[in-house]
Amino acid sequence: MTSPAGATSQGRDTGKPLGLLEGARGVFDIALDSLVWSRRSLLMAVLLCLPIAFALLYRLVLVAKLPAQLRGFDLYGVIVALYYIRNALPLAALFYSVSLIADEVEDKTITYLLTRPIQRASILLGKFGAYLATTLTLALPSLVITFFLLMTAKGFDGLGASVPHLFRDMGVLVLTFLTYGAFFALLGVGLRRPVIPGLLFLFGWELLALLPGYLPRLTITAYLRSLVPHRPPDEGLAELFGSTLPALLCLEAITAMVAVFLGAAVWIFSRKEYVLDQ
Amino acid sequence: MTRSRLVVSGAAAVVAVGTAVALGALFLDSAKAAVGPLPGEALLLPADAKFVGGIDVKRFIQSPFYSKYAGPHAKARPEAFRELEEKTGLNLERDVDQVIFAGTPGRTGKETGMVVALGRFDRAKISRWIEVEKKGVTSKNLQGVLVYLFSEGTRGAGALAFVDDRTLVMGSQSAVEAAISSQSQGGKTLKQNATIMGLLERVRPDATFWAVGDQSVLDNMPKSVPNPGGSGQQILLPGLRSLTVSGDVDPMVAVEITGEANDETAAKNLADVVRGFLALAALQANQKPELKELASAVSVTTEAKEVRVNARLPYELLDSLQIPSEHKHRGAEGGEK
Repeated sequence: MTSPAGATSQGRDTGKPLGLLEGARGVFDIALDSLVWSRRSLLMAVLLCLPIAFALLYRLVLVAKLPAQLRGFDLYGVIVALYYIRNALPLAALFYSVSLIADEVEDKTITYLLTRPIQRASILLGKFGAYLATTLTLALPSLVITFFLLMTAKGFDGLGASVPHLFRDMGVLVLTFLTYGAFFALLGVGLRRPVIPGLLFLFGWELLALLPGYLPRLTITAYLRSLVPHRPPDEGLAELFGSTLPALLCLEAITAMVAVFLGAAVWIFSRKEYVLDQ
Repeated sequence: MTRSRLVVSGAAAVVAVGTAVALGALFLDSAKAAVGPLPGEALLLPADAKFVGGIDVKRFIQSPFYSKYAGPHAKARPEAFRELEEKTGLNLERDVDQVIFAGTPGRTGKETGMVVALGRFDRAKISRWIEVEKKGVTSKNLQGVLVYLFSEGTRGAGALAFVDDRTLVMGSQSAVEAAISSQSQGGKTLKQNATIMGLLERVRPDATFWAVGDQSVLDNMPKSVPNPGGSGQQILLPGLRSLTVSGDVDPMVAVEITGEANDETAAKNLADVVRGFLALAALQANQKPELKELASAVSVTTEAKEVRVNARLPYELLDSLQIPSEHKHRGAEGGEK
């Protein structure tokens, strides 16, 4: 008996594309290598691990010289709420996520991916998975190390009581990468040059979170900021109108945003024709 | 394993170790039973307490606030403090770490007020002082703990006991006895008070001073305030279901007050009332410039049913607010002359 045309020795019909998850896993493996070992990752590692340097500075210099001026928990709260959630994580998500497909187009290697027997959804999901793994690899250890460096600077008293904050912050950090990653992935597949609109979104549109009324609900950052318990002092508009949203509403909105942005990105990518410049 | 997977695995290992250490700290820490800023030892406070508050005495003593305002007046400190140290060996600044209090306001029946002090106590010296110096003091052994009773049998009978070397409890007789019994017999303690526990969980564990209260505490608060416009009208204040206060005194005086209103609209109304007063203070800036700084040092935010008032007052601002009153005082003295 002869095997059907296109069947491999393992019995897979090469005429049909791989399953969604199987294909995504293959793309994930390839994309992870290219994402982790890249100049972009080096730059992002510096950006995301900067709090460790701050924490060391606090531990080695500030605690010794100015013991009463700044407490570890306060500094940790500022780092999470102001540095990570508002600036560094969205920026990292932007630079990784918009280029998931755009880089392949720019390097004219998208053809090699699209001609493989894998679904287009697998390509995007595999690359998105690699983006998440890479960014979390850089950010989570940094957060954990920063937490311990700051919280134990004056001894271990009160460490246990602060642990729930760490776990909550880790969760919000994951949600931040998920939400912004999904949104910028959508920009990446929808626009030819997505970085500038992405930056305008981050440092323009997201400022609506500082305004009163329902306007903050039109941003991503308002939901994420509301989930972290740290409330460092604000200035200007944020001080005047600063408000936080209920946690349940935030989780529902974030889930909906991730589903919609990622779904739309997959839908656009699956239908888009890529004509490469010669 | 590829190099990239090695990096991801390394990061996962760091996070796993960190999580394990954090969980260890959470469950094995000496403060494992602590809830928010409330130390585990203070969980013996009465279950029916309507408010609980505390002060981290050690942190307060080390703060610029204490050295600035209390330090210069050290000589004027009551003679009783010096006598107390001579007779009991207890130096409040040195030996007491934390003081936690709880109670039920406005109750005429069973008294539940109680204070827990944590620190280092010379039990023998303090006990001897109580027995020798205090009149009408009796004692009894309750579950192996010696309880000193003051005015036993009367309505306002008080009690004091050392639960252990580090923990001193005092307050109404019924509350102290109930607390000691709950220690050994597993009776009701503050831990069974879900409302207060819920409020405590929201307070920063490292606050220098803090207090939480449920609705019954707020029943005694004013229901209206004068209109800031000065028209003689009153503004009705929306009711509050709970109140949480926490703050620090280093590097500046920072106070965070969170009130939970009955609904979102009431919270916004209350926030608007507070903002109105702040705006009024800012309008007075022409006459008193320091009021403008004071108004900008306070922010009001809302989160669903909650109103959060944040005040961050640098010591320079507090000094500037004090100067006019000192001048006024001096002026009055001059007038008397």
